[in-house]
Amino acid sequence: MNAPTEFPVTSGCKAKPSRLDSVLIAEDDPIFHRVLQSQLQKWGYQVVAVKDGLDAWNALQQQNAPPMAILDWMMPGLDGIDLCRRIRSSKPGPYRYLLLLTAKDDKKDVVAGLEAGADDYLTKPFDMDELHARVRAGKRILELQDALIRAHEALQFESAHDWLTGLWNRGAIMDFLHREVRRSVRSHESLGVIMADVDHFKKINDSYGHLAGDAVLHEVAHRLVESVRSYDYVGRYGGEEFLIVVVDCAVSDLVAIAERVRLGIAERPIDTGVGQIRASLSVGLASAQAGSPDSLDPEELVRAADAALYSAKAKGRNRVESAPVVRAAGQGGV
Amino acid sequence: MVVTERRVWQRAEALRRLGGDEELLRELCQIFLEESPKLLQKLRQAVVDGDPEAVLQAAHCLKGELSYLGAGSALQAARQLVVMGHKKDLSQAMETLATLERELANVHCAMKDSAGMLR
Repeated sequence: MNAPTEFPVTSGCKAKPSRLDSVLIAEDDPIFHRVLQSQLQKWGYQVVAVKDGLDAWNALQQQNAPPMAILDWMMPGLDGIDLCRRIRSSKPGPYRYLLLLTAKDDKKDVVAGLEAGADDYLTKPFDMDELHARVRAGKRILELQDALIRAHEALQFESAHDWLTGLWNRGAIMDFLHREVRRSVRSHESLGVIMADVDHFKKINDSYGHLAGDAVLHEVAHRLVESVRSYDYVGRYGGEEFLIVVVDCAVSDLVAIAERVRLGIAERPIDTGVGQIRASLSVGLASAQAGSPDSLDPEELVRAADAALYSAKAKGRNRVESAPVVRAAGQGGV
Repeated sequence: MVVTERRVWQRAEALRRLGGDEELLRELCQIFLEESPKLLQKLRQAVVDGDPEAVLQAAHCLKGELSYLGAGSALQAARQLVVMGHKKDLSQAMETLATLERELANVHCAMKDSAGMLR
């Protein structure tokens, strides 16, 4: 969860098609079935071929369904028009490019097909050149869509991550904290928060320059991720301040993790472009234990960890301090 | 029997449509030789039953294939049956069906001939 390269859990588009060059063919006529299958394969497409509308519908519900479908107008089970309508009114997902195949060349029928949700149509008997051109046109649209989805995902990643360290940014880590607090209360699990601050960071910046300071933050982030468990969350809370959400963890384990976090920085210097720099962390931790009352305030956990952090600073830095276990308000508390 | 290929089956037109793929054309002819008798049987049953919807369905399929494969004369008969199905008027259907059967036999012949199956 805290691997810097991973996408946020909130990323959408679950039924993403596996490849843009796969095509579904729904055609009951054996001649056209064979023609389409043979030609598309010859042009390098991966073909899923079915012989009626219901099979087509089912094939399109699969996880890696083709993003493009060539549908015959007249088919048993579910005809091309109904299939278009059904696909368009189904749950949102990646766009399906629908090419309707028809023997009808009446303008009214073409309009009906397009209104039902088809993107394009092809009138039988069609030439191979025309088929190829129309399939390519569809693929262009799908490629555009794919580029947009990728851009969207990249933006989603950026909006939740810190650009320098690759960690969750403050907004994202606080979202996770809120979510984990609710979950821990619901499932009566304990929850820990670790606040860590690089000691004398201003001095590092002043003595070695901002690039070296950035390198230190980057390496600290990397070591933090390595010091916690794979299912904990690590975020950059502020300039040189990091927040770690430790899920389902007893106080003694939490202290051990916090100590590991501290030691991870203190035990060996950090390589930067201007040489090795020694750094250390002051660490404050706070925990809410299993069985805490119903309402637990995430901000209170953060405040408690922050107070412990300042106490660690006051006691000489490069050390871990714990806040008293937080018990939330409610049920006659406070 | 000598078949005047040009009228019965415009092979060159079908081949052009397939981008010159001889092998695919042979394969399609094979499919047509196997499948069209079944369609024709369906069509005959529909005409006998006086079921215009079923006539429309079967004739429509045949029409599409014949037009794609470039079988002009048989196509014309299939087209007429489609219209009859649409209008729900099967009074002339039996006659047209007989024409279609005759023309279709010629198409089969021409295809077999071209594939060397008659030699």
